[in-house]
Amino acid sequence: MALLYGLLWRLLLFLVHINRALVSWLRVRLRSWKGRLWERAMAALLLPVALAGVPDPQRKVNQDPDANANPVTGNRNAGRRSRWLSDGRSLEKLPVHIGLLVAEEEPSYTDIANLAVWCMAVGISYVSVYDNHGIFQKNNSRLLEEIVRQQQDLMGVDGSKCDVEFLSQGSDKHQHHESKSVPDPELVVKFGPVDSTLGFLPWHIRLTEFISLPSHRDVSYEDLLGVLRRFGSCQQRLGQ
Amino acid sequence: MSWIREGELNLIEKISANILKAGPMPKHVAFIMDGNRRFARKKQMERQEGHMQGFNKLAETLRWCKHLNIQEVTVYAFSIENFKRSQNEVDGLMVLAKQKFEKLLEERENLEKHGVCIRVLGDLNMLPLDLQQLIAKAVVSTKTHNKCFLNVCFAYTSRYEITNAVREMAWGVEQGQIKASDVSEALLSECLYSNNSPNPDLLIRTSGEVRLSDFLLWQTSHSCLVFQSVLWPEYSFWNLCEAILQYQLNHTSIQKARDLHREHQAFVQLEADRACVAEHLQHHGNGKPADARRRQEALQHYATCREERIHDFLEALQNRRDSYYTDLLSDAVVA
Repeated sequence: MALLYGLLWRLLLFLVHINRALVSWLRVRLRSWKGRLWERAMAALLLPVALAGVPDPQRKVNQDPDANANPVTGNRNAGRRSRWLSDGRSLEKLPVHIGLLVAEEEPSYTDIANLAVWCMAVGISYVSVYDNHGIFQKNNSRLLEEIVRQQQDLMGVDGSKCDVEFLSQGSDKHQHHESKSVPDPELVVKFGPVDSTLGFLPWHIRLTEFISLPSHRDVSYEDLLGVLRRFGSCQQRLGQ
Repeated sequence: MSWIREGELNLIEKISANILKAGPMPKHVAFIMDGNRRFARKKQMERQEGHMQGFNKLAETLRWCKHLNIQEVTVYAFSIENFKRSQNEVDGLMVLAKQKFEKLLEERENLEKHGVCIRVLGDLNMLPLDLQQLIAKAVVSTKTHNKCFLNVCFAYTSRYEITNAVREMAWGVEQGQIKASDVSEALLSECLYSNNSPNPDLLIRTSGEVRLSDFLLWQTSHSCLVFQSVLWPEYSFWNLCEAILQYQLNHTSIQKARDLHREHQAFVQLEADRACVAEHLQHHGNGKPADARRRQEALQHYATCREERIHDFLEALQNRRDSYYTDLLSDAVVA
C-alpha cells in the first residue's frame, strides 16, 4: 500500500513539474498576445500550485527594441532616461529601498547590473543584492564594474549614483555601520524557484512585500515595472 | 466551540493525505491567520463574528494537521501592533481569548488524552491580568504533554522577541554567566520565546498579503514561505494540501540551504573558539608557541567549558520563565 502511495506521490510531483514547464513555455509564446487570451489560457490549463511562481501577465508596453542594445546616439539615451523617470513617477508608490534576492545557482552579473541600473533610473534610492552563497559579495568589484558599464550603456555617462550594498551569508556585520541610515527594504524581488528568504536580512524584512519572478536571467525592464506596479497595489494596515 | 475537533478525514481526504505523506512532510507549520475582518465584511457579519469563525477554522486546521502527522503548529493570534485597533475591537478580542482559554481549561482531560502541549509566546505583561492567569493555567497544566504542540503568539512581534533575547544575553554577560564571545546566532535562537521548538518548516499566510508582518522573522529564515489568497475563515483541507505540496517541491533546495547555513555557523563557532584559545594560550603560555596537540586539547577543553556555561545560563533563563507562570498561578490562588 505504501508503495502505491509512493508511486502516486511521484506521479503528482511529475504532473506539477510538467504543468510548470508548460506555463513557462506558454508565457514566452503568448507574451505578445492580448492579455485576456493569456488569462483564459492560464485559467483553463493550470492548477493553483503551478501558478505560484507565475507573475501577472505582462501587458504589452511600448517595447523599445534597443532597450538592451548598445546606444547609438545620445538622444536615445536621454529618451530612455526620461521614460524611465516618468515610469517611476507614474507608479502609485515606489520603494525607497529594494532588495534583489537571487535564489538561483550561477547568478548573472549582467542581468543584476541591468536591474540595479533600472532601479536607479526609475527613482529607487537603495538597491540590496543578495544571494545564498555570497557570490556577489565575494565578487563585488566585478559586479560594480558591470553596473558602471551598464549604466554607461543604458543611460549615458552621467547617470546619478546610488549606494549598492553587498550582503551575503554570514557577512561581516561590522561592515554595516553605514547601513544605520538605510531604511528597511519595502520590497524584495525574489528570483528563482525557491520559496524562502534564505536568510536575507531577517530583522529588516518585518514589513517587506515579497514579489517573485521566475528567473533573473534575461530579465527585462518590463518585468521590473510589472513588479513595481504590483507593489503599488499592496496595502499595509500596520496592525490596525 | 471546542479546541479539539474529533473526526476522521473523509475517503478522498484520507487518500490525498496518504499520497502527500509518501513525500517529505513538514514537522512544524506556522500560520498567519489573516483575513477574518475581510471575511466578515464579505459575509456581511460583525467583525467579532469574523474572529469567531477564524478561531473555528484554527480548531479545524489542528485536526487536519493531526491527521497529516504535523506535530507542531505555531499561530499568529494577536500582534503587539494590533493594540492600535479600536478599543472596542481590542476588548472584543481579549474577551474572545478569555473565553477560548477558559474552554481550553474545561477540556483538560481531552488535551491530556491527545497529549497536546500549549505554549503562549509574547509579551504577556501587556495583557489583562485575568487573561494572563488563564494562560498560565493552560500552559502549566499542559506542560508535560508531548505528542503535539500548539504555540499561540499573543501580544507578539518578532522584533520584540529578538530584542528580548538580546537583552537576556546582555544580562547573562553582565552577570558573568556567559562571556561576550559566547554570543552567537545559535545562542540568540536559544533565548527566543520559541527556544523549545524547532524552526518552522513551512510558513503559510492567508488572505493574499505577501509579507511577514513581524512574525517569526528569525526562525523562518530558511523556511518554505507560502502565500495563499484564500481568507483564513475559508481555509480548506485542500488549501493546506496545496501548501504542503509547495513545501515538498522546495524541500531539496531548502534543505541544501539549511545545511549550508548550519555548516557556516559551525565554522564561525570553531573560528571564534580558536581565537579565544589562541588568546588564552598567548597570555598563559611561556612564550613558546604551543604545539598542535596542545592547541587541539585546549580547543576541546574550551568548547566543553563554553557549552557547560551556556547550558547553565539557559537553564537559569528557563527557570525564570517558568517562575513567571507559577507566580501568576499562586497570585491567582491567593486572590
